[in-house]
Amino acid sequence: MHAVGLSIAMGLYFWFANLRFGYTFSGMLKQPLSVALVVGLLTGKMADAMTIGAGVQLMFLGVTSTPGGNVPNDPALAGTIAIPIAVVVGLSAQAAVALAVPFGVLGVFLDQLRRTINATWVHMADNDAEKLNYRGIYLAAFLYPAIMGLIIRFPVVFAANYFGQGAVQSLISIIPQWLMHGFEVMGAILPALGFALTISVIGKKTLLPYFLIGFIAVMYFKADIMAIAVIGTCIAFLVRNNALKEEA
Amino acid sequence: MENTETKPEVKTNKLSKKEVNKAFWIYQLGCEESNSYERLQSLIFCASMIPAIKKLYTHDEDAQKDALKRHLVFFNTEGTIGASIQGIALAMEEEKANGAEISDSAITSIKTGLMGPLAGIGDSVIWAALMPIIISIFIPMAKQGSALGGVGPLVIYTIVTMYISYLLIKRSYRLGKASITSLLQNGMIKQVIYGANVLGMMMMGALSASYVTVSTPLKLHVSGGSTIVLQTILDSMFKGVLPLLAVFSIYWFMEKKGPRYGIIIGSIIVISLVGSFFGIL
Repeated sequence: MHAVGLSIAMGLYFWFANLRFGYTFSGMLKQPLSVALVVGLLTGKMADAMTIGAGVQLMFLGVTSTPGGNVPNDPALAGTIAIPIAVVVGLSAQAAVALAVPFGVLGVFLDQLRRTINATWVHMADNDAEKLNYRGIYLAAFLYPAIMGLIIRFPVVFAANYFGQGAVQSLISIIPQWLMHGFEVMGAILPALGFALTISVIGKKTLLPYFLIGFIAVMYFKADIMAIAVIGTCIAFLVRNNALKEEA
Repeated sequence: MENTETKPEVKTNKLSKKEVNKAFWIYQLGCEESNSYERLQSLIFCASMIPAIKKLYTHDEDAQKDALKRHLVFFNTEGTIGASIQGIALAMEEEKANGAEISDSAITSIKTGLMGPLAGIGDSVIWAALMPIIISIFIPMAKQGSALGGVGPLVIYTIVTMYISYLLIKRSYRLGKASITSLLQNGMIKQVIYGANVLGMMMMGALSASYVTVSTPLKLHVSGGSTIVLQTILDSMFKGVLPLLAVFSIYWFMEKKGPRYGIIIGSIIVISLVGSFFGIL
């Protein structure tokens, strides 16, 4: 696919995924694995796209839970910029992760901007309720956030993709080895942020031993994630009565 | 309901399957789209109640306006599990429309009372456990370059979560607010939250062990020509001590200073680059 076409497609994809149309559907659409699928279809390099997508996904696995809707890192912005550029330029998965890091952070600010602007539609809905204008409330809930979203989101990803390919190509050739490795290290540490955030939101220090059980089961006994999920559910059933003894 | 017997002129006004389904779809499609800092999900909650409000208060425009306004107040929860709140609100509106003594504040306080606890369950089960589990299952396929690694999570996660929401809104509408208040009283909901948190904690531990992969390449040359690989020593002490350190330093910082992502991410970047430059990480 032509560079312009791909850039437009990615801009639209980022707009649609972060529009959050479809609660859990869009939650998954934001993930790098989903972005990679679309990049694969558009570029015809499905295998490359999925491999790179898997690498970028690992970094964002910790931030799938967004308590209170506060994203510490935006996988969609990172994915729609890093994955297509990496596929077209032919970067490794590690280099794609390095590219994804800064955009993931930038995405947080875009989301804050969106939720600030969204307050406007609630005030419009207040007026519509007064006038019994049902259509107005639906438009405020669905159409206006969509239009505003297109204006604040599309240009960022379009421009990054359109101008990014060339820039990244020349950048990669001059980047020193230690810096490249530094980005890899970042990708290895960053998931910790998401996990720490979730622990902090669960907010029960008395439950920290369960964290260690999960950690050691994988580290020492090489348990599958699925196995931990089943064991965790069983333990949750067994200890549920503790909730009644706690605090009161 | 007893009012309909004493006052036969009040026609009973029941919601049909259609209004409940519409409420389900409107909220599931748009519950994050119009989310704002001011009142979060208030707008979409109100929009999802519109079909029911139209039906219940057909001949009373003032009652329609009041109903809209009462659902435009601050509201925020996790959308999948939070669908149960919609069911209860629908049941309460239905009773109110049929003459039961239910005040505006009764409906609002049930909603606000439930949104926190249910968000707690939803965040730890739907987003912190279910989503990473499903993604983890498909990552190996994606690594091998298979498109299935992208299709699988999208289809499975969407269907599973939407099905859960659908069951919850149906069931909570049928049982009404009585069921939930009794749940709150007998501590059932506390148990569910506690269990969800236990599962969430274990998943965070397991995922940290799998995906926080920081290690050190540092080698110490000792006299006599032999070298000591630091990572081997660390592993023999406690496997995964560096990932554990990473998670808990960030956790500790957040507990002390609040979720200041800018500083945390900045520190991670500096530590990574400096560590890489000196060959420590």
